[in-house]
Amino acid sequence: MSSYIGRRILQGIVVLFLVSFIAFIIFQYLGDPVMTLAGRYATQAQREEVRQSLGLDKPFYVQYFNFLKNALQGNFGMSYVTRVPVLDLIAERLPASIELAFVAESFAVIMGVSLGVFVSANPKSIMSKFLMTGSLFGVSLPTFLVGILLIYIFSIKLGIMPSSGRGETITILNFWRSGLLTLDGWRHVILPAFTLGMFQMALLFRITRGAMLEVLSAEYIRTAWAKGLKGKMVLFKHALRNALIPVVTMIGLQFGQLIGFAIVTESIFQWPGAGNLLLNSLYESDFPVVATYVIMVALIVVFLNVIVDISYAFLNPKIRYK
Amino acid sequence: MSSRSVSRILILFVVFSLLLVGSMGVLAQDEKVTVGVDAPPRTMDPHGSDADSNLSVMSNFFEGLLQRNTKGELLPGLATSWERVDRLTWRFELRKGVEFHNGNEFTWEDVKYTFEERLENPEVSEFISFGSAIESVSRVDGNDWVIDIVTTEPIPYFVQNLHQVFIVDKESTMERSQGDIGTKPVGTGPYVFDEWVKGSYLRMSANQNYWDGVPEVKNAEIRAITEASTRLATISSGEVDVLQGIPVTMYEAVENNNSIEVITRPSRRAIYLGLGNRDELPTSSLKVRKAMYMAINEKELIEKVMFGHATPAAQIPDPPTTGYSDKIERLEYNPERAKELLAEAGYEDGFTITLSAPNDRYVQDEQIASTIASYLSKVGIDVEVDAKPKSVYFEEVMNNELDFYLIGWFDGSYDFGRSYSKLLHSVDPETGYGTFNGARYSDSVADQLYEASKKVVDPDLRASILRDLNRLAMERVAVIPLHYQEDTYAVRKDSSVEFTPRSDTWIVFKEMSLE
Repeated sequence: MSSYIGRRILQGIVVLFLVSFIAFIIFQYLGDPVMTLAGRYATQAQREEVRQSLGLDKPFYVQYFNFLKNALQGNFGMSYVTRVPVLDLIAERLPASIELAFVAESFAVIMGVSLGVFVSANPKSIMSKFLMTGSLFGVSLPTFLVGILLIYIFSIKLGIMPSSGRGETITILNFWRSGLLTLDGWRHVILPAFTLGMFQMALLFRITRGAMLEVLSAEYIRTAWAKGLKGKMVLFKHALRNALIPVVTMIGLQFGQLIGFAIVTESIFQWPGAGNLLLNSLYESDFPVVATYVIMVALIVVFLNVIVDISYAFLNPKIRYK
Repeated sequence: MSSRSVSRILILFVVFSLLLVGSMGVLAQDEKVTVGVDAPPRTMDPHGSDADSNLSVMSNFFEGLLQRNTKGELLPGLATSWERVDRLTWRFELRKGVEFHNGNEFTWEDVKYTFEERLENPEVSEFISFGSAIESVSRVDGNDWVIDIVTTEPIPYFVQNLHQVFIVDKESTMERSQGDIGTKPVGTGPYVFDEWVKGSYLRMSANQNYWDGVPEVKNAEIRAITEASTRLATISSGEVDVLQGIPVTMYEAVENNNSIEVITRPSRRAIYLGLGNRDELPTSSLKVRKAMYMAINEKELIEKVMFGHATPAAQIPDPPTTGYSDKIERLEYNPERAKELLAEAGYEDGFTITLSAPNDRYVQDEQIASTIASYLSKVGIDVEVDAKPKSVYFEEVMNNELDFYLIGWFDGSYDFGRSYSKLLHSVDPETGYGTFNGARYSDSVADQLYEASKKVVDPDLRASILRDLNRLAMERVAVIPLHYQEDTYAVRKDSSVEFTPRSDTWIVFKEMSLE
């Protein structure tokens, strides 16, 4: 087991190196940040001076090596645009993204799994057919369309939900700005969380249903029914637990993506999360921010992958790694 | 799981949502004015960005030696008077009794520190060019309140720029880290910084010790909303009182909304086309340039592509700019004559050319470029449109190797002389001339005229030289001017905010009042 985890972590480190290298290559084509940073009226010489002060006059591989060397010491440099340490910038935004992802994920898991169980238990009811059709919309509608529709209906037409921002926040532990401790914060998180979580809810719903149908036709479930166990007992204790493995994989893998790639949702709802920061930084060729962000997201995804693998073992004793 | 528990979950959701909706009332409007803008501030260091979206925000916390009112007129700021003593020297009398937000007194040392040390520091400033043109800042006869600023070369528009060069507190700036300076502004301005949640909002409150009286709007908030449709939603739902930047494509929807008043004003920014000047290019011929100019139906372009929200331009500077000439007129739209001109120049079969344009910078930029392409194809010129993000596009412009490009310009110093040196002067990397002269336009007579204008102290004489310079450039079709954009704002009628848009698009809260 421990050698297995060790191997996964090693693979993760290789992935991180690759990701940072690719990020660096992409940056070569993102546009030259010096053009704006020296000001519109700068001369060639002044621009070169700025280029030197940022270390951008050095060849590609030297820049990459310096970046790695500093990153390993936890120093990701200063943002070109705001001239503030990159780590501070991202750390300031990450709580917003994590909270949004958390609410979206909780919503998707609760609704997706319970509806999945319901449909598998009552395959013939009209409600089930309706839900199955509805879930197709959930997986196929693009995020930006859903977001704009929700804003149009709930903010403009009905005027009951705010269209943007995070609302009132409370700072806890001196760094974590939380919107989940105020009513206003919850009002603001509902629409973006629904937009972000909808795809995953529909996916979890369909996966749960599929897995449940398979398990429900197994011999031991029929035995359970025959023994006269209560419906709840059979569905949740015997069937759901065994059906959960693909569901848990999905939840774990997608949580990382919800944090890292909520860019569209964050930009529609002007959510002050890290995705929004990434988008702005890309527009302004603020490379240190982009690179650090990509590496951090890769780190989160790799970490969650390992967690998912480990959790298999606990969910299903049949899976044990040698 | 039974259908009963499903409905239980659904009911819980409904109750929860109702609770949230019920809390709507908590958000009652206080005396705060909230403005939605289209671009977020980048930094709280007043010299860290020369973009108007940033200067706009900074103008509430900081002040320059001079300031401009909504019409763009130059007024006293931290200096009470100014004069040009000789070609290189400018004299200012400083305002007494002004305090920075941290209680420090404003003195000539702060001016000296700002001009001599902050502006030309390549690690923190986007005003390097302006800063390195400062030779010295010194007191006159040991008087702390009269200073001379000497420049390294004659800069006739020097004072025209001072409303956007903000003075910082020497003591607190020197002792703080750049990270702190870039997030917590300390100025002398009418508003004191409260909180900046990056990507979300910036809050400020009235400076109770402001030298020009406490402003009427006590609390102000700026929210940057980059996504256009969301930005419109915030004003429709009443989350903001004033909104900057209504996209022309959504203009009609806003105008039909009864709770919103739409305010527009001609923008200072002119959109124009730069033309290739290398000898082997057809566009190096004046006849071809004129033909291309005449082939463009600007009236229709404004109507169809800009949805009527632009005014035709016949030159690059706008009316308040020194050097603007009301005698310059557009060449008439006449595709027949254009074809004749092309034939005279030896291009009766037309030619092929690439039009480069940004696709994320100006209002409808890419659409304008493709419309231009279709106009030109009607007279036989085959135009290939190459539209790309501004971060890549401007690099190409500054490499000065384009054949045909679409660009916009307005000059923050209201001076065509400075515009000329960047846009139309022969390219010279040493002096920084022609940085944005994307196709290397070059006219040695005009360049000499520009050099002469720099040495002229008399403002009226200088203005007339700049007008001649402008006319000369337009006669030679140095560029094809298209139109001035329009600045659009939306104000909620129930917000009681009196708002007058500024020519420089800055959001200055002290100019607003509440009914």
